[in-house]
Amino acid sequence: MRVLPRKAHGHAGAFLTAGTALVLAAASACSVQGGGSDDGGGKYPSRAVEFTVPTEPGGSTDLITRALVKSIEKPLGGQAVVVNKPGANGKIAGKDVFSSKPDGHRVAVMPQSLFAVGPLVVKDPDAIKLEDMTFVKGLSVEDYVLTVPASSKVKSLKDLLGSKRVRYGTTGAGTGSQLSQALLFGKAKVPSTAIPFDGGGPLVTAVLGGKVDVGAMHVAEVVKHIEAGKLRPLVVFATKRVEALPNVPTATESGHAIVVDQRRFVAAPAGLPDDVRDKLAGAIDKAVASGEYGQVLKQSYIGRWEVDGTEVARQLTKSRDDFAAMTKTLGIDLAAQ
Amino acid sequence: MDFLSPVIDGFGVAFTPANLLYCLLGVTLGMLVGVLPGLGPAATIAVLLPITYNIEPTAAIIMLAGIFYGAQYGGTITSVLLRLPGEASSVVTALDGHEMAKRGRGGAALGIAAIGSFLGGTVAIIALTLVAPLVAEVALDFGPAEYTMLALLGILMVSTLGTGSVPKSLLMATVGLLLATVGQDPLQGTARLAFGSDELLDGIDFVIVAMGLFGVAEILHNLESLRRRSGRPKAVGSVYPSRTDLRESRGAISRGSVIGFVLGILPGGGATMSSMVAYAVEKKATKKPEEFGKGAIQGVAGPETANNAAATSSFIPLLSLGIPANATMAVMFGALMLQGITPGPLLVKEKPDLFWGVVNSMYIGNLLLLAMSLPLIGIFVRVLRVRPAILASLTILVTMIGVYTVRTNVFDMFLVIGLGAVGYLMKKVGFEPGPLVLAFVLGGILEASFRRSMRTFDGDLTGFLTQPIAASLLAVILIVAALPPLRALHRRRTTKEAALP
Repeated sequence: MRVLPRKAHGHAGAFLTAGTALVLAAASACSVQGGGSDDGGGKYPSRAVEFTVPTEPGGSTDLITRALVKSIEKPLGGQAVVVNKPGANGKIAGKDVFSSKPDGHRVAVMPQSLFAVGPLVVKDPDAIKLEDMTFVKGLSVEDYVLTVPASSKVKSLKDLLGSKRVRYGTTGAGTGSQLSQALLFGKAKVPSTAIPFDGGGPLVTAVLGGKVDVGAMHVAEVVKHIEAGKLRPLVVFATKRVEALPNVPTATESGHAIVVDQRRFVAAPAGLPDDVRDKLAGAIDKAVASGEYGQVLKQSYIGRWEVDGTEVARQLTKSRDDFAAMTKTLGIDLAAQ
Repeated sequence: MDFLSPVIDGFGVAFTPANLLYCLLGVTLGMLVGVLPGLGPAATIAVLLPITYNIEPTAAIIMLAGIFYGAQYGGTITSVLLRLPGEASSVVTALDGHEMAKRGRGGAALGIAAIGSFLGGTVAIIALTLVAPLVAEVALDFGPAEYTMLALLGILMVSTLGTGSVPKSLLMATVGLLLATVGQDPLQGTARLAFGSDELLDGIDFVIVAMGLFGVAEILHNLESLRRRSGRPKAVGSVYPSRTDLRESRGAISRGSVIGFVLGILPGGGATMSSMVAYAVEKKATKKPEEFGKGAIQGVAGPETANNAAATSSFIPLLSLGIPANATMAVMFGALMLQGITPGPLLVKEKPDLFWGVVNSMYIGNLLLLAMSLPLIGIFVRVLRVRPAILASLTILVTMIGVYTVRTNVFDMFLVIGLGAVGYLMKKVGFEPGPLVLAFVLGGILEASFRRSMRTFDGDLTGFLTQPIAASLLAVILIVAALPPLRALHRRRTTKEAALP
């Protein structure tokens, strides 16, 4: 089952071979100075480091990975390439990378949702486990904002929760967009129906067109529409207010303690030697400090989450357990939606 | 005339030497990837993303846009000559285009496709300039209910599209719908018909199905007939269509422009759907439906005009709303973001140079393509002079490479070979793959949209009647469905009357 638009997405992989060659060619030019001074992590890297992106090109994971890779070659002292391996919400890429040799030459930029929300929706005995990975470094955090069309009668969260019935659009099954709204309406005991769309773009269209009552999407996807007065933001599901939308309260402020966000991190196969991990993490630190990388984050309204591997593991475990506990207490079954 | 002054300034931007060069580069590349099956414009644009990072934004988008509409020209060539669609949007062109080639009129088919593409593209740019701000509002009115009706309409047309018998076409369409359900449930993400395989979990890629059933099956079928007839293809003939050809295609080109423009704007529509709809419309509009599938020039002119018009008009939702209408536009969105530009309602006002520079470069690009494609067709035609045995193996090789690069997945190559074998057997017993492939594409849209609608309407089917656009589309569906039996009845009655003394 592949709808037409996604078909061409599938094409995305088509440039892999060509793209890899291309990036390699470009990389070989840049890495001349870096190559000699490599004593830090033993012989690592001894060849190009592959950063696997589990989505098609064009999304925010792809965007930040490409920006990261562009700035990482010098501090890493070697070449780095981006490989897109979309499919099964990231499982295909994860299975591939995390079953490879843990030598630091193959890493993946993974989303938190695959581990924290996915299991609530689909019971997959074959899913990637946290133990399959060595966490190298956190990268980014993106918040969700709840919006209604400007034409809607709903002016505030209170109005929304006072509705007899809510049809809410999500960016898909097993996403933070679905979870945040399911929790919100579950807690407030508002009868609601989830209508999943195929990603952020289609959901924004549906909300703009008033095809659903409300939707939760990433801040970057709606800032322009909010500025243009086409969408009205109600709350953000973040711990504190979002920089791009300073006037929008958090759900917690509004009396509903729901924090759901999307985080992305760099992970290697389990058993990655500590020295290799430290060298890679150090190089990432330098790369994310570059002005170019910062520019990409800023333009895409992506927040920084540059924590170490231990903190990544802690956050993932916490989100996974919290979300599971919350849905259980509220009696919400995401899989049945 | 204040409204027009940024438009005119945009020509200044488009005509700078650097931008002209990037435009030429883009359309040439586009034509090339259009010819190569498997390597699509979305892929090419994505490959070039790292390069565009260092190019000035307007020039970068001009080049990437050129690749996109250039590919619509190139995709026709292999469709017509080899019945191997270079792009999904050229699938229906293969039906009549290849028949024309078999009858020694391949040149005319390619020529009319180039002319139609040019006219369709140009009409779409003019319309884009005039209605971009207005149309965005209409596009938003298309939600799940409207898409359900569009897909239904498409599938209904599919069953009359087959060159074979209607029952066989319907059977093929059913198989296509069934294949479309493989993979993750579009709404809930649960696995369906995946048989525990991660590869199948992601669904069967459209390219794989098209390449297997159209490509490999056709090559196998051709190889079989090698012994019987000499493999040398017939003369291609002049690439400049005759006056009769032009006259016969005039209506098809006008209709194709409109269909392509309208469907290109709709999110999820795009070049492929518009070419399919245009083909179906031509088949209905013609006075000689029996010629369809046997080399009707309208069957080439309509879809080829439509896919180019759609390629152009799909920029409207992206540039005026920040909503990519299809996958290629999604990559284009990525390219803009990479350049630090967030496409959205504010783009036209804040960055008129970029907006109008890109739009106006399309006039130049289309002219370049027309100028290039007529003489260049001769070069591509020479491919046919190669011995079929060599050409067949080469094409399979290229197809396999193309298939592999789509998802860098060896499993897909086996799928294509398997589907190729199935397609070959289907052809032997008179089943055409067309309806299957088309239903496969529309099946996913139909299912997801229908289920979204049902959730919106709380499971009440009459909900569709409450949506004006969806209800109108439903009326069209009923009319289209009722027409053939009515016409048949009418024909029977007239023949009966004629038979009576």
